Amino acid sequence: MLQNAWLIPVFPLIAFIILLLFGRFLKDKSSYVGIAALALSFIFSLLVLMERIGGETYGFTVNWLTTGDRTISAGYEVTALNVMMLFVVAAVSLLVHIFSREYMHEDNRIHVFYSYLALFSFSMLGLVLSPNLLQLFIFWELVGLSSFLLVGFWYFKPEAAAAAKKAFLVTRIGDVGLLIGLILLFNATGSLEYSAVFSAIEAGAATNTMLTVIAVLIFLGAVGKSAQFPLHVWLPDAMEGPTPVSALIHAATMVAAGVYLVGVMYPVFLASSTAMLIVAWVGAITAFIAATIALVNTDIKRILAYSTISQLGFMMLALGTGGYVAGLFHLMTHAFFKALLFLGAGSVIFALHHRQDIRNMGGLWNRMKITSVTFLIGTLAIAGAPPLAGFWSKEVILAAVLEGGGIVLFLIAAVTAFMTAFYMFRLFFRVFTGEFKGEHEPVENKKFMTVPLVALAVFAVVAGFVNTPFAAGLEGFLTEGLNVGEQAHGTIWLAGLSVLLAAGGFGLAWAMYYKGTVAQDFFTSKAPGVHKLLLNKYYLDEIYQAAFARPTVAAGKFLAEVDRRVIDGIVLVAARSVERSGQVIRKQHNGQLQTYGLVTIIGGLAVIALAFVLRGYFG
Amino acid sequence: MLSAFDANWSLMTPEIVLAVLAMIIFTIDFMTGIHGKKPFLGRLSIIALLVTAVLVIFVNPQGGTIGHIFILDPFSMIFKVILLVAVAIVIAISMYYVEKNEDIYQGEYYSIMLFATLGAMLMVSSADLITLFIGLEIVSISSYVLAGFKKHRKKSTEAAIKYVILGGAASAFILYGMSFLYGLTGTTSLYEIGAAIPGVYEQYPFMIMLSLLFMVVGFGFKISVAPFHMWAPDVYEGSPTSVTSFLTVVSKLAAFALVMRVLFIGFGGIIEEWAFIIAVIAALTMILGNLIALAQKNVKRLMAYSGIAQAGYLLVPIAAAFNINVSASTIAFYGVAYVLMVLGAFAVITFVTEESGNEDIASFSGLYKRSPYLALAMGVFLVSLAGLPATAGFIGKFYIFVGAVSGDMLWLAIIMIAMSIVSFYYYFGIIRQMFMREPKTSLDGQPAGTLKAPAGISTVVGVSLAGTIILGFFPGILINFFNSFNWMFMFF
Repeated sequence: MLQNAWLIPVFPLIAFIILLLFGRFLKDKSSYVGIAALALSFIFSLLVLMERIGGETYGFTVNWLTTGDRTISAGYEVTALNVMMLFVVAAVSLLVHIFSREYMHEDNRIHVFYSYLALFSFSMLGLVLSPNLLQLFIFWELVGLSSFLLVGFWYFKPEAAAAAKKAFLVTRIGDVGLLIGLILLFNATGSLEYSAVFSAIEAGAATNTMLTVIAVLIFLGAVGKSAQFPLHVWLPDAMEGPTPVSALIHAATMVAAGVYLVGVMYPVFLASSTAMLIVAWVGAITAFIAATIALVNTDIKRILAYSTISQLGFMMLALGTGGYVAGLFHLMTHAFFKALLFLGAGSVIFALHHRQDIRNMGGLWNRMKITSVTFLIGTLAIAGAPPLAGFWSKEVILAAVLEGGGIVLFLIAAVTAFMTAFYMFRLFFRVFTGEFKGEHEPVENKKFMTVPLVALAVFAVVAGFVNTPFAAGLEGFLTEGLNVGEQAHGTIWLAGLSVLLAAGGFGLAWAMYYKGTVAQDFFTSKAPGVHKLLLNKYYLDEIYQAAFARPTVAAGKFLAEVDRRVIDGIVLVAARSVERSGQVIRKQHNGQLQTYGLVTIIGGLAVIALAFVLRGYFG
Repeated sequence: MLSAFDANWSLMTPEIVLAVLAMIIFTIDFMTGIHGKKPFLGRLSIIALLVTAVLVIFVNPQGGTIGHIFILDPFSMIFKVILLVAVAIVIAISMYYVEKNEDIYQGEYYSIMLFATLGAMLMVSSADLITLFIGLEIVSISSYVLAGFKKHRKKSTEAAIKYVILGGAASAFILYGMSFLYGLTGTTSLYEIGAAIPGVYEQYPFMIMLSLLFMVVGFGFKISVAPFHMWAPDVYEGSPTSVTSFLTVVSKLAAFALVMRVLFIGFGGIIEEWAFIIAVIAALTMILGNLIALAQKNVKRLMAYSGIAQAGYLLVPIAAAFNINVSASTIAFYGVAYVLMVLGAFAVITFVTEESGNEDIASFSGLYKRSPYLALAMGVFLVSLAGLPATAGFIGKFYIFVGAVSGDMLWLAIIMIAMSIVSFYYYFGIIRQMFMREPKTSLDGQPAGTLKAPAGISTVVGVSLAGTIILGFFPGILINFFNSFNWMFMFF
């Protein structure tokens, strides 16, 4: 079975090609093509997963290209880490494909939507199967491209078109880092294949400084893709895309690719303590900042987006403090419960005819039972209520941070965990309890939407049991044959603290948004400045706009103007002097020499000045 | 003493055949009257070019030399094939263009383009300053004429005038630099110059540098790199669109080949003296080209700046020339990718701008609805120009990056990668017009209808598209082939 793993991304690719060619005629039957392809991918990844558990890593490569005396191969490999990812990606993608059938059925471009979705699934599965960094990079860009297409799917909304562009360009900044890091790594180790790179590094192929530079550059790629501070600004805007897209790409899979990249390249990071420290701190800052913004935001999808950013920060924090298993474990559990929350939000938005402001929602508990219950499960899971998935993964993260990161990082993580529980329950109470505030009575959605919710809710409950203090199955599986250092484990008091934080956040949200015993502006009235700062997302968009975007465009315009003027000027001078020389030609035979003389002298002076400045040839 | 009769003239068979065919086309043009449509001449020109390309490949594949005046080495053969195919594509685009613009005398147009090609072939296969200069001038003068081919349109005439004046100044720079070199070494053969240069440089470093820099200024103009690029946008905008595609691809690549020959052979001995200067020019070109492109609304001006930026990328392997063979194969690979993606894009641009009578980027709005095939193809070309994976452009750029890093020019590679983000912004501007805008409504309120590309344009787009994608997935086809050569003969 392992040698057939390459088929997993091929199914969606075939679906993509079919939909590209015949989508127009299939119309809303397109969804079945996509669902069938992903169902096959899911079955295959399940089989591959079962065979790989207790089995061996399998790889297949062929030479792809040569540079000088080095070759870069192409192929696929099946490792412990990537079978886990394959399973998660295929499962979530399948459920999102099913969900979208109902969600998008009124859109007359549904075949285009499914073709993009298939393209994304192909790219994401291909990314996971890649055995070397260059191939990963290629798929990395392809997922970026399909994300661009899907975010901008409703391009007739100006916000969606702008968001698509922003998402693409901002993540490109990270990709530049990744590409440079990749080439430096290639230059240092002579290979891009993971295993060859690691053994070269172990053999001391690169200096410590070089390794730090490489690791930080690769991390920059992860920062862009996984929406880490300071490049996180694209993710909230990307919520302009259809909600199933947000669930698949911007919650469960693509944004986790950055975390996956750090996981895959972990030996490189481990070799540089500076790089580890940077990863940890960027993760901590991201987790904290995003959680604070989520406290005050009022758009159901954007709250979830900030929550995603914050949780991705958690994963980075774990990886940066040595918690290899913790970070990747959280990646897996988060994929399920965050996809659940997003699809739940999609179900709500769909029932409310595309309204997203939580201030205008409420009282859905009795009206949409399945959505409500599953959403509650998701909320409990992300808040860290035992024994749901989030509880187990968050606990190991806290343990890793405490052991490998010190007390400051631990406090940041703990406060963030508290805030997470608070903003999630604020969202829950606002949307599902209280008075219903709309005209059209919402009703529960059809099976195509509720079945994926239930399936994801099951995962959100049970996914954590693969790695508990009592049976750390995932840890053994992921670390087998890998040298990733000693992994930290939770303790009873940590578990207690974790539950306490979740309960605290829940209690406060309950008091403010359900019971009303604490006034809703209790905090905001005390610190209006902070509230405004958070509402405006720390003004980062404005700062970037003023510091980077506008100067670049202004420089372009200015230089364009210079170009135009200079050439017209030279030609004008030439024309004038020809004209004038015509008038004086009888007196002086200087013809066009004037023109050429002028150009030559200016140019010659420039050349001599250049030579003088650069090399000092006169000396 | 070598007599003219001893020379192995068969080495020049492709050139001679092309010259004869060009003459025949010229004559047929005379015989069929000055006006009127002559698509058969276009077809004949394409056949002439392809026949010549076949001759280049199959006659004298082992190469040879006629003194130092004519060199047939892998470098010249490969560049000749690239150029000949590129001109054939340009003529296929031109056939559509001249069909639409009746004020162009078709026969002259084709024969001048063929003569320009002859000049370009000379440029890539000589190692003698005088012959090189003659080749360069044949291309340049033909290009001036082509730029002004729509003589009743002010913009075209203006473009030609600007081009002549500034091009003439640039040629003067080159000649001036060459004269220094001749004065110092007493020869015009690049090989003899190359052998003499380390010694002469010891004695007269300043004079040699001055000569080199003068030539760099002149060459910089011909390949449109900053700060000598300013003519390009005006000329590209004003010229007939098909001529613009010729200037962007053929003139530029031929001049690149010439620059490589002069720098690697003539100045190969003092590489560390000029590598840094070329690197600075490359950096400046990438920065200026990409930044200024951001501000462009006219699609031909945009492509001009994009072409400037691409010329900057192509300079990187010259600056990081730790190994001539690696540099040459990197440039040749990127050259092939460049021909495919730029000419593919120009086929679409020519068609769309002519159909809408408007050269604004907005003329692309809603192209996906009007012609999905052209829009998807154009999307691939732009993505390839921007350097996204799974396209030939990415592999080409990747090779350039690796070469720059191996040549210890990391800073240059970083500038290149950073500037490529800026390029995404303007390339995606066009993509957004095509995919994320509704088609423009015409004056009577009807949305612009579907577009049907003529066979010539469709073929060009199809071939370029296939090439761009195939080379993106299987670059080994070309790279392994290129890596197997010793590109330039060395007789030191």
